[in-house]
Amino acid sequence: MIRKTRIKRTWLAAAVIASGSLLATALPANAETGVSASEIKLGITLPLTGAASPGYNKIGNAINAYFKYVNDNGGVYGRKVTLIQKNDEYSPQLSIAKTNELILRDKVFALVGPLGTANFTAVHKSVGLAKRGVPSLFLNTGFSGFSNKKSYPSSFMILPSYAMEAKIIAQFLKENHAGKKLGIVYQNDEFGIDGLGAFRAAGTKFDVSIPYTSGTQSAATAQTWVSQLAAGGAQVVVFFGVTSATAPLLAVAAAAKYAPQWILGSVGSDPLTLRALGVPVAVLNGAQTPAGNPSPNDTSDEYVKQFQEINTKYNTGSAFDDYVLQGMNVGLMTVQALRAAGKNLTRKGLVRAMETKGSTFASVAYSPLGFSRTSNVGHTGYYMAVMDANGDRKPFGGTVTLYTTDSGSGPVVKSTFKRPAMPAKGLPSNS
Amino acid sequence: MESWPKARPAVRKKIAIFILIGWVLLIIGDRVDELRVYQGAQMAMYTIALASIVLLTGYSGQVSLGNGAMMAVGGYGAALTLNNLGTPIWFAFLMAIVTASLFGALLGAAAARVSGPYLAGTTLALAVGLPAIANQFAFLGGEPGLLFDVGFPPERFGEEFTQYKWFFWIASFIALIALFITSNILSSRFGRTWRAIRGNSLAAELCGVHSARMKVLAFTVSSGLAGLAGAVLAMTISLVAPGAYGLALSFALVTGAVLAGISSLPGVVLGAFILVVIPEISVALADRLGDADKLNNYLPGLIVSVLLILSVIFTPNGPGENLRKHLHKKPAH
Repeated sequence: MIRKTRIKRTWLAAAVIASGSLLATALPANAETGVSASEIKLGITLPLTGAASPGYNKIGNAINAYFKYVNDNGGVYGRKVTLIQKNDEYSPQLSIAKTNELILRDKVFALVGPLGTANFTAVHKSVGLAKRGVPSLFLNTGFSGFSNKKSYPSSFMILPSYAMEAKIIAQFLKENHAGKKLGIVYQNDEFGIDGLGAFRAAGTKFDVSIPYTSGTQSAATAQTWVSQLAAGGAQVVVFFGVTSATAPLLAVAAAAKYAPQWILGSVGSDPLTLRALGVPVAVLNGAQTPAGNPSPNDTSDEYVKQFQEINTKYNTGSAFDDYVLQGMNVGLMTVQALRAAGKNLTRKGLVRAMETKGSTFASVAYSPLGFSRTSNVGHTGYYMAVMDANGDRKPFGGTVTLYTTDSGSGPVVKSTFKRPAMPAKGLPSNS
Repeated sequence: MESWPKARPAVRKKIAIFILIGWVLLIIGDRVDELRVYQGAQMAMYTIALASIVLLTGYSGQVSLGNGAMMAVGGYGAALTLNNLGTPIWFAFLMAIVTASLFGALLGAAAARVSGPYLAGTTLALAVGLPAIANQFAFLGGEPGLLFDVGFPPERFGEEFTQYKWFFWIASFIALIALFITSNILSSRFGRTWRAIRGNSLAAELCGVHSARMKVLAFTVSSGLAGLAGAVLAMTISLVAPGAYGLALSFALVTGAVLAGISSLPGVVLGAFILVVIPEISVALADRLGDADKLNNYLPGLIVSVLLILSVIFTPNGPGENLRKHLHKKPAH
């Protein structure tokens, strides 16, 4: 009797599930995913909260602010560009879950500026971005592995790789800090190891080498770093980590009266964020850092000036710093890419447009762009900068001396490249 | 196959039911879109994890808040086997069961003397501490974790057969087999012995049941199941990372088990469904309330906690259990 009831219930449940699923079947796809007559949907995963979020959590809103400006001025061939932000707290498996949401539920056209080396590596593999053909533009990471076109056919970098950055710093160390004791603190994953490998290849010998696990940065762990650095007598310390790790390192060192020459990697060196995290501006004074863009306070720069105006109008409440500048630049590049892909917008078309026309796009950074049919490489160089007593960034030696290189064994050379002018009113008209 | 005619009618009917469910899943998998297929794979994973709780807590009466940790052990066991020994996928899943069972046996032996809230506390400590061990050893991949790649679906299924559908097929297949075996174990003398221990450990001992040994056995089998679930979870995200097996997972599992009926094996399907639906509900809620993404990160955890508190207050054995009692009109035990 109970058995019969159970079997009946099983049949019933099966019938209910089957009919329910038929109703839930998706409608056939319409044109390209994420593109309609009036809208282009883009997605980004980044740390909006969590240990690694300070600074980076402004990037999404900055990109969005730029998109709103463009939308108010006709959009891209009449379509509004919207950015859906998902918080992944810098955790790879959250990035996977959120990217699944973006692609399967929100059905975005492409990813723009996904942040984090370990995050994008995990997402690309797990969500199968290559097989799906989902373009990912202007990754917010400099891991040189992403420039491999075969492994990452539809992804495009924008930042110079960490290997490039390390090579340029290595050259700078040779030219300006020869003979001094060197120390390095780096994030113990592909991001930091990418840089470390390039330093080794360039022949830089670090007397003190301190890895830290992402997520463990704090005042307490910074104490151990400073003790080791001071004990090893490091006179120049290179830092290759995120901003929320730079801050305790600098603050603890200042308190311990340990004052080496700091060389802060580009990822964790934004002065405004560091000051907000409690680093006294006096400590930042004299810190050296590779930079790709002009200082966000340099209103004599046409890009900075235009972006600042957009920020004031469309991103109120967000102070204009490196991250906002970077975000708006990604917005500018994205709109140029969407325009270059033409009115009949497809994912394949976007990838092709990036490969064939991407290297000519206007960007605030000084170095040339390396996009081509065989390369995902974005910007290819840095100039060295120094922070002053106001925490502002000035070029080392007074004027911008741009160095370009590759992620491999190519030489570091001085470059005379002149970047394209900012489009009129910051609105691209390319095609 | 030749033992089929000899198998009791009850087992034959069970096999038929499971095959029928398998067919239905196959058909459903073809009809729904990719998001639902992916959620289907997650549901299959949850059913296995919840089955481990039903066995451990519902049947042998040992409360464990550390199932997330056992899932982690299984996940890492599978990934390390696959990546370092290059074995076929099924062997990696087998190793997940083996490694998690071994850990479970150790845990069971240590925990046999503890019960009730003390056992809960011990297993809670495990849930918090074990995944973090991955950060200490480089070969465990640290925070970014290890890759777990089960490979692409076979080419003869065609271009349209997506990766997630392949996960759904594998996860469902594993879930069906695991549930079938678990169901047999639970309706065997082992199941009866465990229920005796849960009912009254002293009385069971007086009847000749070796209470401690059976408790450890419960931990071992339950952990093996949890480890299998952990490997299936790793498959769905192609990744084994400590963050995937955190405390939130353990709590979600306990909640799912309580809601679905702590000692009801068929209830695990309902529990798994609830666990997969909660993020959907929170997305809908967050959209309604605005500031979608900030809310989205906290709502699922909030909903799980509220459900757990409510069910502990009103239906300690879970609403599923109350329903079952009502339908069968006889006490659960």
